[in-house]
Amino acid sequence: MTAFYRNQGYEEDPDYPDFSRVNLNSQNNPDYPYSRKNSSNLKSKNNAKYSSTYNDPDYPDALNHPDYAGTKDYLDNPGFRNHQEYPGSHINPAFSRSQKNPDYSGPGNSSHHLRARHNPDLGFLVIPDYPGTENYQDSRESPDDPDPRNNAYRSSSKNYHMGAKDYLSSRNNLDSLKTRNNQSYPGSLEMPDYPGAEDNLSAPDNWRDTYNQVTQDNHGISYADNPEMGRGALQSHPTFHQGSRSPERRNQDYPESFQMTSRKPSSLYSEHPVPYSDDSGYKEKLIASLINLTPSEGIKIIRNQPLTMQEKRKIRKKVNMERRKSDSTVPLNCCTQCMNAMSLHFRHFKNIMSEFFQSLHVWQRTLKIIGSKFGTSVLSYFNFLTWLLKFNIFSFLVNFSFIIIPQLTESKPNTLSFTDLEVMTSPHLPPPLIFVYIFSSVVPIHLTAPSSSILMEMNWVYCFCFHSMACSFRNNFINPHIYSRGTAKLVFSWDFTITHEKAVKLKQRNLTTELKENLSEIRHENVIAPLKQRLSHLAIHLAAWIVSTGVAIASCAAVYWLAFHNMKFLKQHKNEAATLLLPFVVCCINLFVPLFYSSFGLVEKFEIPRHQILVIITRNIFLKISIIGILCYYWLNSVAVSHEECWETLIGQDIYRLLIMNFLFSLFDSIFGEFLRRIIGTTLIKSLGVPEFDIARNVLELIYTQTLLWIGIFFSPLLPLIHMITLFIMFYMKRVSLLMNCQPPSKAWRASQMMTLFIFLLFFPSFTGVLCVLAITVWRLKPSPHCGPFQGLPSIIHAIYGWIEILSNRPSYLWVVWIYRNLIGSVHFFFILTLIVLIITYLYWQIIEGRKIMIKLLHEQIINEGKDKMFLVEKLLKLQESQKKPSSYVLTQERREQEGLEAQDLKDFNLSISISPV
Amino acid sequence: MGNKQTVFTPEQLEAYQDCTFFTRKEILRLFYRFQDLAPQLVPLDYNSNPDVKVPYEVISSMPELKDNPFRERIAQVFSQDGDGNMTLDDFLDMFSVMSEMAPRDLKAYYAFKIYDFNNDDYICPLDLEMTVNKLTRGELTPEEVGLVCEKVINEADVDNDGKLSLDDFQNMILHAPDFLSTFHIRI
Repeated sequence: MTAFYRNQGYEEDPDYPDFSRVNLNSQNNPDYPYSRKNSSNLKSKNNAKYSSTYNDPDYPDALNHPDYAGTKDYLDNPGFRNHQEYPGSHINPAFSRSQKNPDYSGPGNSSHHLRARHNPDLGFLVIPDYPGTENYQDSRESPDDPDPRNNAYRSSSKNYHMGAKDYLSSRNNLDSLKTRNNQSYPGSLEMPDYPGAEDNLSAPDNWRDTYNQVTQDNHGISYADNPEMGRGALQSHPTFHQGSRSPERRNQDYPESFQMTSRKPSSLYSEHPVPYSDDSGYKEKLIASLINLTPSEGIKIIRNQPLTMQEKRKIRKKVNMERRKSDSTVPLNCCTQCMNAMSLHFRHFKNIMSEFFQSLHVWQRTLKIIGSKFGTSVLSYFNFLTWLLKFNIFSFLVNFSFIIIPQLTESKPNTLSFTDLEVMTSPHLPPPLIFVYIFSSVVPIHLTAPSSSILMEMNWVYCFCFHSMACSFRNNFINPHIYSRGTAKLVFSWDFTITHEKAVKLKQRNLTTELKENLSEIRHENVIAPLKQRLSHLAIHLAAWIVSTGVAIASCAAVYWLAFHNMKFLKQHKNEAATLLLPFVVCCINLFVPLFYSSFGLVEKFEIPRHQILVIITRNIFLKISIIGILCYYWLNSVAVSHEECWETLIGQDIYRLLIMNFLFSLFDSIFGEFLRRIIGTTLIKSLGVPEFDIARNVLELIYTQTLLWIGIFFSPLLPLIHMITLFIMFYMKRVSLLMNCQPPSKAWRASQMMTLFIFLLFFPSFTGVLCVLAITVWRLKPSPHCGPFQGLPSIIHAIYGWIEILSNRPSYLWVVWIYRNLIGSVHFFFILTLIVLIITYLYWQIIEGRKIMIKLLHEQIINEGKDKMFLVEKLLKLQESQKKPSSYVLTQERREQEGLEAQDLKDFNLSISISPV
Repeated sequence: MGNKQTVFTPEQLEAYQDCTFFTRKEILRLFYRFQDLAPQLVPLDYNSNPDVKVPYEVISSMPELKDNPFRERIAQVFSQDGDGNMTLDDFLDMFSVMSEMAPRDLKAYYAFKIYDFNNDDYICPLDLEMTVNKLTRGELTPEEVGLVCEKVINEADVDNDGKLSLDDFQNMILHAPDFLSTFHIRI
């Protein structure tokens, strides 16, 4: 609605000749459109330009009249009445004819008209100065002429009608005066025969069409037609010229003003409501459109204007005045006042809430320091860590509320708890593990609760993971252009909120690092190595891949062998300490093999640093996932079928031990590894220097533990709590270690897409693998016969079957049974669902493909238009320089070019509209 | 309440309220901040709209602007004389645009002006150079600065005219989701 009104505001006067001329000049005058500071100079500048362009000493008054060329001063004049200064307008005998227009005459058109009638003499004073030819009568008499304007003002208040009409008529009268009194141009007096008459008629029509279009297509779809509209109006010029020998004036008037009308709205609709603040007409129109709005809307618009406070106040005052005049009868709606007050309170509330939430971001400061000292790549590790922490808090809350609380409230005296105490006292099993046993001692009546809640949580995790992955994909990978907009965003991304000196320096350093990251990419793009070098690089890469894969397979075999032998050993000896052997070996592999991998970096040289990190991540993820795979195989194929008393508990214990061991190892790694490395690097072997923070290894560590955790949730629902604690400690430990021991990565690389990659990794090999393992557990494995909620069932999924059986006996739950049988358990339903999803995916895919082509074409087009524009501007400048005296031919040329320019401007805007939403 | 009556007339306050994104309280708070900057210059009575300008040196010593690398540009853009000397109106204007409530387009418009050092309504390579130097405290070599400027123009210049117009800038801002939160000065 707002846009509509503003649009109307722009449309409202097609008759601002000087206004448009000013605009034209501004094509060459770069100072023009937006600088508030220069506004006072504008007048003189534009006028100077004008006179130089047109070399027209005969029309000084018309051109230099402050009311038209001026910008600021315009507001100072009391509204539309400043046209009284054109006395000529009031003495036109044809003026009375326009009074017949019912819209035109009214009680409101007061002083202007009165004075017009009472001061008939004044007009002749200016006659010699306005020798322009204007077929006034035609334009006034033509029924089309007033109508479009009435259309335009349809929704305006009556008062505004008056003002605007006064203005229009004054313009026309003025023009016609010039015509009538210009004895040196006799052709202009032959009005009935005048060929320009029709053109003049057609102009308003065009204008009206444009207007209608604009109002109908408020979303800027059909603007492409507008330049043609403008041209349609312009095509008349040659004939006009032939008919009259001094047509410049009028010619300059109409065409540009039409282009103005077609251009400006387009700029509005491209979501750039920033006005041309120096246009005096703009303010008029703004005021006019504001009068029709409700006060609150009007205030909103005034606030959003990029004008100085004084101007805003003037506009406001004027609007209030006009409003009071126009509808003083309508009382202020108390409801709207109430709404205003409410919205104000809501705003305050929102402010307070946002401040409150900002205070909740505990680590924001730490993260900022890390970011500014170590760049975004290291920051992305910490972001990932905090993200995981939040995720685990959520996971813990779900588990706690759906599994632990029901069990705590309904668990019966536990026969197993005594044996558990023994376990607790044993040195390698800390207290939290007791929850595994609580879980396993739930009475079978509630058996469906844990499994369904775990399934539900898995579902949540799935949705959450997928959603965040999709979001970050959208933010980081889908660009409307081939290039990313990283640098531009960086350069204009200064954080004005920062006020501390230290923080400013940190931010500056951070930005420097990031800019260097960007630059390193450009530089690498430019260099192409010779063939021999490339071949040797390729060979090294290949060797590195073979070695790394071999090592991964070897360590998998070692783990497999150890696991099976360990089980036999444990069966025979019952030595508690021996249970720690397997986690220890696995953690050793996890610690040292990645170190070995990263030592490849000394031999392997990558052109783009990001590739290095990707390769290291791929190798490490391969290693870790295959180790987890082997462990899962061991658990599912030997532990689960070994007819142990509680194999679920055994697996839970194993995972718990692995997690704790892993945590200890990473503590050890960062305290001793990095610390010792720093000591060695700074004192013993100075060439090594301070260690760099290995993002890939650390992130994969996180992904690895998270995978273990997901597998473990099913067997020990309180694992998230433990993981939460370990992550919390890890954050501080890593921070301290980073700030104390490490240096910023020497190779700065852009890490904007790192987070997406991490989440993707977490989702794809890790989470999907976990789902597979759980599916096998639920559908294939036989639960242990004497403990756990699923005891005595052939497989865990039978708990669901049994639950459905029970429900089908109760009539009030039949809908659940129905849903289960027809939707969840039905193959047909899933078949149809999959089909629909596939069809939708295909459709979207096609749409995306189409849009890609569209974007490419539009981008090319924009570039071409830009080139055209540059070319035309150059030509125009040349013409202006070469032409010293006015010649109608040249001016026509100019006109055409300017017209072309305007049209292209419009097209540019259209393109930017169509591109921006993508 | 008594203070309100003495500093501004109710009409003045209402006008300020309508022209900025502030409430009465905030406007008064800002006025006192303004008055504190130059107590000897700024009268405590604004009923008659005195034309008082606080010089740039004083404005730029505000803790909110003191360490901002763009403080000079901010003051210039928002002051009517273009030299950074501010009246109360300019001062309110500045914080209104920089407030949380200001819409994206308004912010983008002023951000554009702040980055347009030579006031030619285009962000040209020279402007970019100055911006980059301010951002990095001159830690980049001239060659690197040149590369950055080139890249920025390559990225953001939609119509290939070698400089960024307001539309280019706004289009770019559309793709920078955190612009709204960063172009913001807390008072």
